Amino acid sequence: MLQLDAKNLLVEDAFLEAFDTDYVPATLDRIITDFDFTTYHISTPESKEKLLFSINIKCWNDLVKYGVFQILKDKYDELIILTEPEAGWNFSLYVDLTQFKLANNENKKELASRLSLLKSHCFSAPFYKAFNRHDILAAEGPVDPNNIYGEDISTVTEEVFVLNYRDSEVIYIKPSNDRVTVIFSTVFRDETDKVFSKVFLQEFSDARKRSIQTAPQVINSHREPPLEIRNLTSNPFNETTGEEKTYITFVLFPRHFSSVDVRWNTIQHIQLFRSYFHYHIKIVKCFLHQRMRYRVSEFMKVLNRARQDSIDEEKERKTVSGRRFELRS
Amino acid sequence: MSQTLRPYLTAVRFSLNAALCVENFSSQIVERHNYPEVENKKTKEILLNPLVISRNENEHVLIEPSINSVRISIKIKQSDEIEHILVDKFTRFLTKRAENFLILRRAPIKGYDISFLLTNYHNEIMMKHKLVDFIIEFMEDVDKEISEMKLFLNSRARFVAEAYLSVFD
Amino acid sequence: MSSINTPAIVMDNGTGLTKLGFAGNDLPSWVFPTAIATRAENSNSKYNKSTSSRGGQTSGGNLSIKRGMEDLDFYIGEEALEAAKGPSYSLNYPIRHGQVENWDHMERFWENSIFKYLKCEPEDHYFLLTEPPLNPPENRENTAEIMFESFNCAGLYIAVQAVLALAASWTSSKVQDRSLTGTVIDSGDGVTHVIPVAEGYVIGSAIKNIPLAGRDITIFIQTLLRDRGEPDTSLRTAEQIKQQFCYTSSDIVKEFNRFDSNPEKFAQYMVETVNKSRTLTVDVGYERFLAPEIFFNPEIASSDFLTPLPTIVDQVIQASPIDVRKNLYKNIVLSGGSTMFKDFGRRLQRDLKQIVNERVASSERTSGAKSSGVEVQVISHKRQKNAVWFGGSLLAQTSEFKSYCHTKQDYDEYGPNIVRNFSLFSVP
Repeated sequence: MLQLDAKNLLVEDAFLEAFDTDYVPATLDRIITDFDFTTYHISTPESKEKLLFSINIKCWNDLVKYGVFQILKDKYDELIILTEPEAGWNFSLYVDLTQFKLANNENKKELASRLSLLKSHCFSAPFYKAFNRHDILAAEGPVDPNNIYGEDISTVTEEVFVLNYRDSEVIYIKPSNDRVTVIFSTVFRDETDKVFSKVFLQEFSDARKRSIQTAPQVINSHREPPLEIRNLTSNPFNETTGEEKTYITFVLFPRHFSSVDVRWNTIQHIQLFRSYFHYHIKIVKCFLHQRMRYRVSEFMKVLNRARQDSIDEEKERKTVSGRRFELRS
Repeated sequence: MSQTLRPYLTAVRFSLNAALCVENFSSQIVERHNYPEVENKKTKEILLNPLVISRNENEHVLIEPSINSVRISIKIKQSDEIEHILVDKFTRFLTKRAENFLILRRAPIKGYDISFLLTNYHNEIMMKHKLVDFIIEFMEDVDKEISEMKLFLNSRARFVAEAYLSVFD
Repeated sequence: MSSINTPAIVMDNGTGLTKLGFAGNDLPSWVFPTAIATRAENSNSKYNKSTSSRGGQTSGGNLSIKRGMEDLDFYIGEEALEAAKGPSYSLNYPIRHGQVENWDHMERFWENSIFKYLKCEPEDHYFLLTEPPLNPPENRENTAEIMFESFNCAGLYIAVQAVLALAASWTSSKVQDRSLTGTVIDSGDGVTHVIPVAEGYVIGSAIKNIPLAGRDITIFIQTLLRDRGEPDTSLRTAEQIKQQFCYTSSDIVKEFNRFDSNPEKFAQYMVETVNKSRTLTVDVGYERFLAPEIFFNPEIASSDFLTPLPTIVDQVIQASPIDVRKNLYKNIVLSGGSTMFKDFGRRLQRDLKQIVNERVASSERTSGAKSSGVEVQVISHKRQKNAVWFGGSLLAQTSEFKSYCHTKQDYDEYGPNIVRNFSLFSVP
């Protein structure tokens, strides 16, 4: 598996099962997780045919600021959205199964898949807002063709959208008239991960220069916050925990949000960056383990070759744990 | 293979051959005990002069002979941070499996990455020249393995980065 | 720590099936075969290739990249079975007889379980894994090495399956004291274990295995169907019949008579043919009560194993230390799909009681003293099928669970051998 899926397979499965024509309504009370401290809850508090679907996101309060309600209302308008979410959860909606009895399979599938993208839709709010803001800025002050790579002075005061999506890791989004800058800050606690992450980030920065010109520009910096957010992060290095932050900047150019489909694709993909990045570092370690296991067994073979043949002639042998067994000749 | 590696390994091979001249020797301090003398170092007269063979400042081997045991410690090449981490991971992985390795010491000598302890017992059940072969092969393969892992890491990182970025359009 | 509020992950990797889910749920979120499908050609020649590539590394970066991606190309679970039907993948089962055999495959199996199926960042979650009784400590260390070094999981607890099955029985109303002492009868697809547990510790010397389990019952039903010449005698049909119609009788002879006088006892099972054009009707007869009977009278199905289950249970308890035997008789817990037959527990209890009473009576005769009696109780409950997983879910959702885990910090400080010991759950 190379790419992570934005969909939550479990959520999709649960709803597909519920929409099935043979489905026997049952009492449900299930917890499902997703990346970045996101939790879903599927339950049937009222009747077995009405599924309550709730979500809890760590940075919900940030998302509310950037208009997440409107986005979710548009996306799930045929479902009953609760004005007062389930206690302990940020957002709840009801899926009434009787309502979908007659719907055809295509619709059911589409809805299940849409529900499984709930987290992506929630996180899309600030991105949409930033893209819209860019459209306004671009209309107000068209891009100076002579100043394409310089930092536009007029946008220094522009508001930066902040998402505290994990404990000490933050996403910053900054619109300007010719680009939208997305900055991730992430923390590696493990020594090995820190070193590996540097190798990976270097390649992220180089990839665009080398082969994929259409991709966003990636800039990374270690411990030193980038210019755009310097005034927001007073303390780049946390002395008490010894955590070192790594900043990764994605510069999205207008081509990355030119149409509705492209926007959605970009948003969906960039959200997963942190998970993708950490996931691949872990896979590398898995693969190194695999290699080392192989290498160890090779060394063992070489060492065993050194054993004198006379041992083979003995009838009795010992296993590693010290158990003795006889050799049949 | 670089110019200096061959003579370096040859030197280690000859020194090992000479050092691996061990015999059974009961402890002179505790009755009916038989220590690897190089480990407890209590009886001065049966310890021989330790010997360091270095290829450069990052790579050297320490051979400590004694009457019934020889300790070999290896400093593996680590030219940068990545190699340092990889060597650390690999030696940890190896020492965790020391039980199966017979001659591997569970903890390396200070200043070295990995240590082997050869006693007269090992010399009795194994053939001496094959043991020396093993040490030499180990030294060769570890270097290769580390550099291969590093190459793999780089190529994987490149692939992963390109795979991620190519989805944007 | 960040992982205080996230639910713990409970993973029960069995020989046949893997159960994955979150603590607090009453059912595992995923149940699929512990199978992994890897690229067929790299299984034996992979490393030869990478060694031969040493010479060819200069020949071009692209090739080496492609070579390096093979470890991402695999499937697990149902998808693995699907992929293995094609020519390019080969199927592997990393767990044999309850123990991990192939760590390379197991590591990748976990990797996909966590990131694809459970969708969680292991750094944010605590994990509860299970192990069979008598698992060597080296295997625990290897597990910890993978979980902590590769995945950086926040915390880890490895529990013995039988102990979790005991914990799962606490949901039954019959259990008054939540003790971790009892006899676990774990019957899955391949093999049946009888495991005595005293205060959370498995009494290894007394464990017994029975080579009869779910698969043997299915095959037994299939032969009965074939003998009668039913229109459909596939293994699937036999399995469906086993799950839907079978029950344990109290006396076979009486049950035979009852069937003969009451023809409505016979059931019928409809099978759809492959192209769904017509349905076949399969009559279900004596196998309704004969199939589960093979536990109590093994001679009807097998010729080499002839000891009935109640006798084995009695032997196991008799082989345990004398001071725990009473409690072992009092708390016999069922776990696994093959113990799901109706009245299975009641039958076992009756037969075992008989054996015990006989022994008590004979000892009273020889010694002349009056015995205080031995209570025999078999506990069956609703969660039997996924008892091990459910027990794990139950324990992992308690607030104390995290304090019993070894954390990543502990691992980094003390090394892999910390997982040799886990403190037991104190009984709430």
